[in-house]
Amino acid sequence: MAGAVPSLRVKVLFFGRLRELTGLAEDDGELPQGATLAQVFERYAERYPKLAGFRNSMVVSRNQEFAAWDTRVAAGDEIAFLPPVSGG
Amino acid sequence: MAGSSTVKAIEQDKIELVRAAIDAGALVRDVRAGQDGAIVTFDGFVRNESDGRLTSYLEYEAYESMALGKMKEIAAEIHEKFAIHRVAIVHRLGRLEIGETSVFIAVSAPHRGAAFDACRFAIDTLKRTVPIWKKEYFADGAVWADGELPPTPPSAKSAS
Repeated sequence: MAGAVPSLRVKVLFFGRLRELTGLAEDDGELPQGATLAQVFERYAERYPKLAGFRNSMVVSRNQEFAAWDTRVAAGDEIAFLPPVSGG
Repeated sequence: MAGSSTVKAIEQDKIELVRAAIDAGALVRDVRAGQDGAIVTFDGFVRNESDGRLTSYLEYEAYESMALGKMKEIAAEIHEKFAIHRVAIVHRLGRLEIGETSVFIAVSAPHRGAAFDACRFAIDTLKRTVPIWKKEYFADGAVWADGELPPTPPSAKSAS
């Protein structure tokens, strides 16, 4: 039932091969209160099944800091899914 | 504590993401000062092959705001760890041709040891922790370069 569970809005970013795979650079996500970064990822893995295979070869950031998957998100967070980095 | 001298040094650092060619000579001049006795630089540029395949060109992309933040953290960390003076760390994004500089680091110091150590630490840390990605284009296709997974903090549960 829409609206029954309090929800929060976050900005979600995808980079590199993850952006190519989803065709999505940026998305506005709506999540239930108390959701973790892992649950944010699962939400997108349902929409883009190929993402699931990358879960162990990526990291996640929250507000531009690397974060543990069980970190809870807050309204207005900027969340990014990051493949292995290859700058230099 | 390094305190105010570190703060002052950081203000003089040059930490940038750019899309045009990197002017290495200008960066070396930026970090050079009368009190220094040495500058060590690292010039990373585009190699013409990858695992035996001839590379046509590379494309770099970044999570720009976070990448700049992480590059500034590296500069702050080498000021704390090593007796250095000024730092320049510049990474280029977009399409780069063979031989073009993708990253340039210059570190000045009164004595060479600290400058060598800091420059090495800076490039090694950049390659492990800064959210920048490179795609390698070949005559017959393109691949995202193998990268490194940045270290992540321990689980939130164990932290609380």
